Amino acid sequence: MMKTAAAAASVPSRGEPSSDQENGDNSLQPFFILHKAASDKSDRKPSRRRIPSSPASPNKPGKSGDDDSSGDHSHEHLRMEAFQHAWSDIETTIKGVLQSIDSGTFEAIYSWIIESFSIIRTHVSSGLSEIAQAFPAAVDSVSRRLFTGLVLTKNMELFDDLRTFEQLGQFLRSHGCHVANLSSMEFVAKNGIGGCITSLLRQFLATSVDAPDMITLSSWYNDQVNNDTPIILIIDDLERCCGSVLSDFILLLSEWVMKIPVILIIGVATTPDRLRSIIQCEALQCLCPFKFNLGTVAERMDAVVEAILLKQTPGFFISHKVAVFMRNHFVNHGGTLSSFIRALKIACVQHFSMENFSFMLRGLIEEEIQGSKHGLLLKAIYNCASNISPCERNKMDEEAVQKLVAEIAQLKRLHFLWSIVVLCLYEAGKCDELRLLDLLCEALDPEFYASRVPGSFTQETRYTKASSPNDCFTHQHKFTMRKDGFISQAMRKVRDLSESHLLSLLKRWERHTADISEIHEKVKELQHMLKFENYQQVKKDSMEIAKIRGLQSKSNLGRDMKRVNDKASSFLAYLIEKYMQPIECVPSHEIVCFKNVKKLQMALVGDSRRRIQVDLLESHKILSCSCCRNDNILLSSMHDTSIMYSSCQEHGDLINLHDWYQSFKRIFLCPNSKRRHKLKQSPVSKKRKFVDDSEKLSEVVIQSRFCRGVTELQITGLLRMQSKRRPDFVQRVAFGL
Amino acid sequence: MGEDEGPSVTRRTTRSSFATANSTKNDVVERTKSNNICSPSLNDLLYGGAPFDLDVLLANFPGRHPQIHELLQILGPSNTPMLPIFVYGGPSTGKTSIILQLFRHLNRPLVYSSCRTCYSPRILFESVLNQLSHHRKDATNGYSSVKRCEKPSDFVNFLREALVGLVKRLKENMGKSKSSKKRERSIDGHMVYLIFDKLELVRDWDKSSSILPLLFNLDSILNIPEVGLIFISSTPPDTFYSSMGYIEPVPIYFPNYSEDDLRQILVRNQAYPKLYSSFLDAVLRPFCRITRRLDILSAIFSSLFVEYCKPLNDLAIVPNEDLKRKLFSNLQPHISLFLNETFRVLSQSSSGAERTKERELRGSKRKIGMHEESDELDFHMSTSAKYLLISAFLASRNPATLDASLFDSRGGSDGRKKRRKPSETAKGQKEAEEEELLTKGPGSFPLERLLAIFQCITSVAEDFLGEEVQEEDSLEVEGQNGPLMSDVLLQLSSLCNANFIVKGGTCPLEGSTRYRSVVSEDLALKVAKSVKFPLAKYVYRR
Repeated sequence: MMKTAAAAASVPSRGEPSSDQENGDNSLQPFFILHKAASDKSDRKPSRRRIPSSPASPNKPGKSGDDDSSGDHSHEHLRMEAFQHAWSDIETTIKGVLQSIDSGTFEAIYSWIIESFSIIRTHVSSGLSEIAQAFPAAVDSVSRRLFTGLVLTKNMELFDDLRTFEQLGQFLRSHGCHVANLSSMEFVAKNGIGGCITSLLRQFLATSVDAPDMITLSSWYNDQVNNDTPIILIIDDLERCCGSVLSDFILLLSEWVMKIPVILIIGVATTPDRLRSIIQCEALQCLCPFKFNLGTVAERMDAVVEAILLKQTPGFFISHKVAVFMRNHFVNHGGTLSSFIRALKIACVQHFSMENFSFMLRGLIEEEIQGSKHGLLLKAIYNCASNISPCERNKMDEEAVQKLVAEIAQLKRLHFLWSIVVLCLYEAGKCDELRLLDLLCEALDPEFYASRVPGSFTQETRYTKASSPNDCFTHQHKFTMRKDGFISQAMRKVRDLSESHLLSLLKRWERHTADISEIHEKVKELQHMLKFENYQQVKKDSMEIAKIRGLQSKSNLGRDMKRVNDKASSFLAYLIEKYMQPIECVPSHEIVCFKNVKKLQMALVGDSRRRIQVDLLESHKILSCSCCRNDNILLSSMHDTSIMYSSCQEHGDLINLHDWYQSFKRIFLCPNSKRRHKLKQSPVSKKRKFVDDSEKLSEVVIQSRFCRGVTELQITGLLRMQSKRRPDFVQRVAFGL
Repeated sequence: MGEDEGPSVTRRTTRSSFATANSTKNDVVERTKSNNICSPSLNDLLYGGAPFDLDVLLANFPGRHPQIHELLQILGPSNTPMLPIFVYGGPSTGKTSIILQLFRHLNRPLVYSSCRTCYSPRILFESVLNQLSHHRKDATNGYSSVKRCEKPSDFVNFLREALVGLVKRLKENMGKSKSSKKRERSIDGHMVYLIFDKLELVRDWDKSSSILPLLFNLDSILNIPEVGLIFISSTPPDTFYSSMGYIEPVPIYFPNYSEDDLRQILVRNQAYPKLYSSFLDAVLRPFCRITRRLDILSAIFSSLFVEYCKPLNDLAIVPNEDLKRKLFSNLQPHISLFLNETFRVLSQSSSGAERTKERELRGSKRKIGMHEESDELDFHMSTSAKYLLISAFLASRNPATLDASLFDSRGGSDGRKKRRKPSETAKGQKEAEEEELLTKGPGSFPLERLLAIFQCITSVAEDFLGEEVQEEDSLEVEGQNGPLMSDVLLQLSSLCNANFIVKGGTCPLEGSTRYRSVVSEDLALKVAKSVKFPLAKYVYRR
């Protein structure tokens, strides 16, 4: 029992080195610090032996003795390799998806910059000679306005968007603009306006200037070969800037905008109205703002989830519970895409390091890329097997491998079908602002699937095959849906769609289902039906208009439309019933599916204070010494702080220092009595014992140990020191776990 | 405030010395050469292009004739010493541009430095010295100034040196130009004028202990009769002088423009004066009631005029009464819109339109129109941040004594006891409290109180949600009992970063940090609505 606990702690920390490249991951875990010792070399052995073999795997790695360490080592190596491979795949996908989301806005910003630059230039063309001088360029106030792009990031948390602004800077630089990225750190009241000008000059001139001012910048700009491009200043976070400094900066720039064509881009995390409360009115007058929308977090999230969890090969997948946990964490705490991706990465690391057959996944992924059949996978398995050890190879019998390969192929096919159904549902729910992650959570729910399908999957298919081909359009779904569920919401939406929307929805379905001919055909059929109905309607209408019976025809139209909508909806139900099998209901899904919510939660949330308390109360479990195994009895051999924390549990929120000290002392001075009675003794017996026992420890030593214990508890945040009002009491801060 | 340049801009001819060097893309070496060639060129100190007559100047600045005449009188004919001038008046009343144009008319050399651009004493000093010695910062000299000058005493010494040299050269130059009239534009007289613009900003520099007295005393310190000092400020002289024992400069006041002046200024330079004046008939009066600032008005009118012209095909027509009325009724809704707020955020220009359209189709509700007050929160916040924001708002709004009765189920009895007390005390005290709350704004609160309210709120909300969506429960994972409580401090810091909560000063008694919520009630209500929290129930109102 104890070993597993230690091993569990060691798993995430073993995954840690690989994720070291990302800076953000380092500061994740207060938890790791507490358990650093667990990842020690000597501690590793038990953890290795513990790795569970998947129940569906045909051959259990029955290793023993010396084989163990060498074979396992290569295993681990292979697993980590497979993880790195898989994760780099996922990472590049994410990068691509995010870039494609932003690219539209970037283009819009660039064309706006070109436009505003030409406007600035028309004002300035007459007085080029003035640029070199200190006199203000004399122009009317309208042309002195500063073109400002407000980029709405629409997320209170800035973290995701730092990267976006950096990319925006690179994008504009690649188009020949002079770009400087200013962070809000430069707009602090302490440095005043000098701080931002210094940073500006440092970025443009690449040297530090003694007395930074705008004259220097204008002189630099005029020396540039390409001084027919604008200077872009990107300020990434409006909210964090000091308002007065930013206003001063804007006023300063507006004095110079005729000489140096500066265009501002300001990132706004909340609403553009905040500008009014942060920047002074006079500076506000100088701005000529335009706003641009970046993709919202929800949109990004959808795109990432779609790309990774739906469209990518099932090299790695998450179970229902994990998905729900990740969603809740995102909605309640994270708020940033980066935190979601980090959670995904942690899950990925843990899966690859825990799952016995995870090294095979690499073969699985490669196979997908090269498009061949089972050949590569088979080869990969054999390769890995040969890597393990020669004797191992013999044990690996042909039949089992074949079976495994077949199972994996089946898994892949089913998962692909599932993802297509989910995509179709998502497309339907899109106009209702349905979030893909919500839908995914529901679609992954194995209970929902179980309630839907009483029999096994094979029975189901046989049944549908027997039925007529057009059955799917009149299909009465037998499963009960949650009333507020997202799937039912999507289906309801299909029923209510207008004609043009339905047509476009069908087109999107057609695109998604292109690979599965049987569904594809049905979608086409639906499209035909819709078009035919339209055609008929038009014909009918023209006839009926002649008869001046417009009213009736309208209701007719509505009814007919409804019919196609109903068909589409029941087709969706048919799809759900037939194809949407959550990955957890597929045999041997354990190889690709990460299920351990607890581990992920531990790694993500940490809950360090609880951990500290548990460790203090059960210190013997961690120290695993032989002397103090007794439960609920405080022994003098226990750790001081642990004794103190256990004994203070009896107090309320105020602890009398004297009482506490007395009970602490008692534990040391009369260890025998503890065995018979508990902590609370009658004063009479205490006195007797006090006399009996020889004074091994002097009062001074106990006092000093007591003081150290109190300090340690205070440092860990479980206690608060006494106030001046009540000098003999300390206050407990943490209650319960 | 150099707005009213207008027609003279187009007539300005570029000067020979610098224009040739700058207009073409030449390398640094060539520029330095040309710099060397014309290094003694005193013409650098002249402002603008070719000089013009007084009539042109007066025509360019309608409504400013008395001020211009007064200035001319004080400056006097060439080579007469002058007393320092202090020009003041509200923003955008033409102070800077009139002075500059006046010097262009007079053809006298000046050194101009704006205290906004020169944001610290050192940069101000060095900028003045650089101009006096025709020094340009560029890559060849490492963007350094002609002299490093930080102390006021150094500045006075360097300045005297430079000025004496300059005046000497000016005198020589005068003799030369009299004998041979090579240059088309010759400097008139041997006076040099130092202009310090936006002087009001100097008051904020290191409490202005030394710089302001220095500047005002500069005339008597230098004691060079050939130097004239002009200060330009947007605040009256009373805000500067503090009986420091120097001669007060001659004040010249630029009053705000009258409505007629504004009309004259605005009609100038318009392509369609007839149409524009009929437009001004409609809009000038209501807007003048709000502001007389020319920069604001011209910005508003330029966009309003576009609206005004929309129904017209031919802009050159002279509108009759009927058409005027029609146009006015067209414009009416826009006027009220602009009257309410002068700051408007435009959305993406045409190029991005497709994308926004696409977005609109999907989002449907969110219109680009800026005055669409939607109930929805249009940015993302995590749920716990939302609750934290609400609890911070409550903590700031409600008095701390009320917390128990609002959030504690046992609090009812407590509240009754407390309610009895104020009934006995005088009513005036309550009113005074109310007033105090109004003037104080949102109250501050310690972290503990915030967390307590947060916990109460979230527990209430979870019950509330639990009743409403029972089905949702199966989606909850075990161990999620207090899902909102973890890393609250992280959320708090990001709320502080977003400027929703402000870290107030520490309380002198407790020594712990206090916070203050600065969100508007609208935003708080929006946030509460998005998490379906009945905020109105909890806000304490008298």
